[in-house]
Amino acid sequence: MSKIVVTGIGIISPIGNSVAENCAALQASKCGLSSLELFATRYATLLKFGEIKITNEDLKQQLGVTTKGVTRTTLLALHAFVQAIEDRGLSAEELQSSDTALINGNTIGGMSESENLYLDANKNEVGSEYISSYNLGTVNMYIQQRYKIGGVVNTFNTACSSSANAIAYGARLIKNGFAKRAIVGGTDSLAKFTINGFNSLGILSSTLCKPFDAERSGLNLGEGAAFLVLEKEEDAKGKKIYAEVSGWGNTNDAFHPSSLSDNGDGPYLAMKEALEVAKLKPEQIGFVNAHGTATENNDEKESVAMKRLFEKVPAFASTKSNTGHTLGAAGAIEAVYCILNLMHQEVYANLRFEKTIETTGLTPVTEYTKMNLEHVMSNSFGFGGNCSSLIFSKT
Amino acid sequence: MFYIHQSSCISHQPTFNDVDLEDLKPIENNLVPAIEPKYENVPLGQLRRMGRALRMGVGTCMKLLATNKVNGLLIGTANGGIEDSIMFLNQIHDYEEGRLTPTAFVQSTYNAIAGMVGMITVNHGYNATHVHRGHAFENVVLDAAMLLKENPDHSYLIGGVDEISVKNHRLVSLAGWYRHDVVSNADLYTGNATGTLPGEGAAMFIVSNKSEGAKAKLTGLKMLNSLDENFVKEQLNLFLKENPGEVDLFLQGENGDNRLLKYYTAAESLMGEETTVARFKHAFGEFQTVSALAVWLSTYVLQNQKLPQHFIKKNSATAFNRILIYNNYQGLQHSFMLVERV
Repeated sequence: MSKIVVTGIGIISPIGNSVAENCAALQASKCGLSSLELFATRYATLLKFGEIKITNEDLKQQLGVTTKGVTRTTLLALHAFVQAIEDRGLSAEELQSSDTALINGNTIGGMSESENLYLDANKNEVGSEYISSYNLGTVNMYIQQRYKIGGVVNTFNTACSSSANAIAYGARLIKNGFAKRAIVGGTDSLAKFTINGFNSLGILSSTLCKPFDAERSGLNLGEGAAFLVLEKEEDAKGKKIYAEVSGWGNTNDAFHPSSLSDNGDGPYLAMKEALEVAKLKPEQIGFVNAHGTATENNDEKESVAMKRLFEKVPAFASTKSNTGHTLGAAGAIEAVYCILNLMHQEVYANLRFEKTIETTGLTPVTEYTKMNLEHVMSNSFGFGGNCSSLIFSKT
Repeated sequence: MFYIHQSSCISHQPTFNDVDLEDLKPIENNLVPAIEPKYENVPLGQLRRMGRALRMGVGTCMKLLATNKVNGLLIGTANGGIEDSIMFLNQIHDYEEGRLTPTAFVQSTYNAIAGMVGMITVNHGYNATHVHRGHAFENVVLDAAMLLKENPDHSYLIGGVDEISVKNHRLVSLAGWYRHDVVSNADLYTGNATGTLPGEGAAMFIVSNKSEGAKAKLTGLKMLNSLDENFVKEQLNLFLKENPGEVDLFLQGENGDNRLLKYYTAAESLMGEETTVARFKHAFGEFQTVSALAVWLSTYVLQNQKLPQHFIKKNSATAFNRILIYNNYQGLQHSFMLVERV
């Protein structure tokens, strides 16, 4: 079976607007979390967020978006999408071809326009410009229309593992002959809906998040987007190949709508399945980009699951300490970070870690370190018990 | 692609327990609401807190999972629990982002149906929610087809569900997709009007590679994004060449909106003189995942070898072996599916 490889990447996150900027920020252990400057909410200064400091107007101008009704979620996605297709050098003809797929994962769609949605749903006699932009399909509907993508177009929602599943789906479309190339990724923007939703669950931190620390106090929400171009290795001859997408696993924890089971069944099974697809043994994984949201529940259960799977838990860290939890975008953003791990043979610091969780005794990578890496794993777990793991391999 | 074994369906027609499609159930107030049954196999405490889409989705799934074990769950929904989403948003607004209860937030997430069914049935397998509007259910079908190539011995629960809610209705109505004049569902296709009737419902299926005991076989799928009816016609022609064989029922998604008629007319022009042509949106209404109900109806027709008169537009086959479904959502998202007799 031919390998599925990554031949183009694009990203925008709280630590940078391009792959190069994100890489430099990770190497420098930069934190992109702060109070909110551009987004009005009661929690703007009460909590910390991973906010991208570019206004919607600026994004529209940079991207040449003049169509009405395009929300921030779509603008961030478009920014990453354009970088990815330009990186790979896909032509208009290739984009329009019936064997080019476009797969996105997100959790907020156009509901980032919460004031407009409130008015449209309750008061307006005439719909706002966002009237047809609220559901999650809106992002890929816009990108498909703009570039006339000719193949399968889809949007995944499995909460915080949405874009990990979008990546796996793209790889499987190619493997099964339903696409020759797949542009896959995820996006989410900060929104009152998610800020208040996560706040109602009491899992947002007022301080900078501390993944895997014994005294962690919850997560910081973030925003961003990333896209990857996937194709078969033999179709990528003469092109830059970043990494192989070698494994994927999708399971359900089947325990609780918003927290993980004590034994971390879903996470354990997702990681195990990804290893089986990649035909790898646990000890061949050199590094895990953990889900590591810094909530009480996740970090402990994810640790338990890693200890179940790995005889010796490999080096691991959570880049959510840099970006915050970008929800539907997290799987794609962290896929790009895994690719950077492999490209540069290095791992990045899990910021602000001080003290191991007593029950698990695991210590993440705490400083920027050069490391020989063949295979890295990325975890994404979401509400509804949706657990996914991806494996990227050096080519 | 795969065999369809069990199925369950909630719609405006009696489709859940004793299926009776002979006489069209009329509508009131330009809505084609689902008639919710008494749900069994769903814990009452949970049922009480669920919104409409969640109830219909979980209810149709649980009817099948009471007697079947599956390796994974794949749900298509364009809106998930949108009423709960907007309820939560209204609370955010009304309480000026004060302390809120999380129920509406957690239950409104699009993946809540597959998540809840996974939890109730303790299913650790593949769990996916596809949400790409008029292609949400079609991507479920494609995903299931791939899973069954990757895991030939598995079986999966697949389906589609969406709700009409007051708020959602208002949004789609403001966007100009619903009829403003009063119309009965029996008269949906007459006249020259703009807009359609909103519907809702759920249809779930157990699918596998096993032919034994199967009710039908889904043999082909194609999705298209285009506003050009000639391109749609060209692609349908290609699809029929790639999937040769006689079509004895063309089941199409005409919805009474004069802006969309050109697509159906173009597609229908490729059918033979003798082909029976039928429609289904007068019975189920229009919504993004109604194509799941079209597959349910096809399975019903193949099993029972009859199609009640009110569905039929043209001709009247006496035997049904191969059904072509053509659906179109808001003029841009098109799909073709082939469902065959086993």
